Amino acid sequence: MIQFHNVSVSYQGDAALSDVNLQVRKGEFLFVTGASGAGKSTLLRLIFAGILPNSGQILIDGQNLTRMNRHQIALIRRSIGVVFQDFKLLPNRTVLENVALTLEVLGWGAKDIGKKVHHTLRQVGLEHKMNSTPVKLSGGEQQRIAIARALVNAPKILIADEPTGNLDDFNKELIFEILREANIRGTTVLVATHDRRYIDASHRDFVALEKGVVVEDTRERR
Amino acid sequence: MSGVKQMATRQRVSKESSFGRLRYFLDRAILNIRQNLFINLVTVLTISLGLLIISLFLLLLVNLEGVAHEWTRQVQVTVYLEKEPAAQNMTQLLARIKMLQQTDNVKYIKKDDALKRFRDRLKGQESLMEGVTADLLPASIEITLKRGSRDSESVEAFVRQLKQIPGITEVQYGEEWVRRLTTFMQFSRFVVTLIGGFLLISVLFIVSNTIKLIVYARKDELEILSLVGATRFFIKAPFLIEGIIQGFLGSLLALMLLTASYYTFLYNAADFLSLSPTSTGIKFLPPSYLAGIVCTGILLGFIGSLTSLKRFISY
Repeated sequence: MIQFHNVSVSYQGDAALSDVNLQVRKGEFLFVTGASGAGKSTLLRLIFAGILPNSGQILIDGQNLTRMNRHQIALIRRSIGVVFQDFKLLPNRTVLENVALTLEVLGWGAKDIGKKVHHTLRQVGLEHKMNSTPVKLSGGEQQRIAIARALVNAPKILIADEPTGNLDDFNKELIFEILREANIRGTTVLVATHDRRYIDASHRDFVALEKGVVVEDTRERR
Repeated sequence: MSGVKQMATRQRVSKESSFGRLRYFLDRAILNIRQNLFINLVTVLTISLGLLIISLFLLLLVNLEGVAHEWTRQVQVTVYLEKEPAAQNMTQLLARIKMLQQTDNVKYIKKDDALKRFRDRLKGQESLMEGVTADLLPASIEITLKRGSRDSESVEAFVRQLKQIPGITEVQYGEEWVRRLTTFMQFSRFVVTLIGGFLLISVLFIVSNTIKLIVYARKDELEILSLVGATRFFIKAPFLIEGIIQGFLGSLLALMLLTASYYTFLYNAADFLSLSPTSTGIKFLPPSYLAGIVCTGILLGFIGSLTSLKRFISY
């Protein structure tokens, strides 16, 4: 599903990722971990072409991301859901409008959008907040809305960059549960987190980065 | 490419027609305006004030052009004839003058007419006319020139052509006055163009920066749209429609303010200056100019949005 071949990225001469080789199979749930500045966010941003590598190739479902034009990148992003630590919700739009944005881009009709958004909000337990604006919601609720926006079109891949970074333990557990359910429904999930405690407790595979280099991949042990 | 398209279209439930998409963009633009009412009002006001300044400048320009046109109408070339030619020769002569490209109107003044005109001018001082008979005054042909041929260079060229016509020897046209008028008109046009140019650039700069601020305030929205797979066209379209609506409303407001200012201050000012507004007083802008102002407003909004979006849509 996702393949990195000798991928390197540098910002103004400073290496953020160096010669990374990585493969993520369809339906996998994989954590990406490492200290702050290890290259986790850079790795995730490469998957949805938020940045492009200085060298190397990235393949998403067999398509070479580095050779795509702007229009092709827009199209491939429709099959990738993205969640950030800071939620990135539009404060002047309702929860319904925020989640509906993904489907509007795909050209869905208003009736279908209403049904699908309601269904997805029920999955994250927030269907009763449909007409609220994000500023009236707690941090945990806002993150669940951001996840709903990423999942509403049943993407093939879900990328979450420190999705629980600002949340308490209760909300952390809630968010991870939603991500697990999405994975069970067939979505390939990649989560960047520096919280090794949680990764260890979840007994999931992880890739560890250090100074832009993959230093550990638990899948290689098998 | 086909693989990428398949991945994306698999998830599309309902396809909409182009009209449906346009309707969506229009609805989105109107919703955006309602959700960001204050900032949109600021843009509309900025556009309208900018256009009002340009409109007032145009009003001034149109009226100055009118005055200048009146002045140049006085540019007249007079051909003096030693003898009154026979009627047939005169017809031929007038026809040849009319054939010249610069000629607007030709009027033959007989000796008797010249005397009559002279008398009229000296009304109240008839004693000065004692002993003056029609034979003393020459017959003449008064020629007015077309609008574009009233500068000193064109008049000189015209006079040279006139002198080549057999029977014409003496031509007068107030050489010095025409030269001064031409210099003044050229200088005025240069100053007006310079001021107009600066004005237009200033308005463009202010409007585009105001729109840039609006787009900047909504850069998160642009980012999110691009993250969920919106194409550049999909992201831009509602913003561009918003720009067009802002420009249109701004221009309408500018025209309303201009009309109100004209009828409140300028129309009455013409009365105050003892000028009749219906004749040579302060004129309002002709309809083509008003349409031009609306088009400029729409263009300002559209181009302002387009250039601002370029900066914020990076991928």
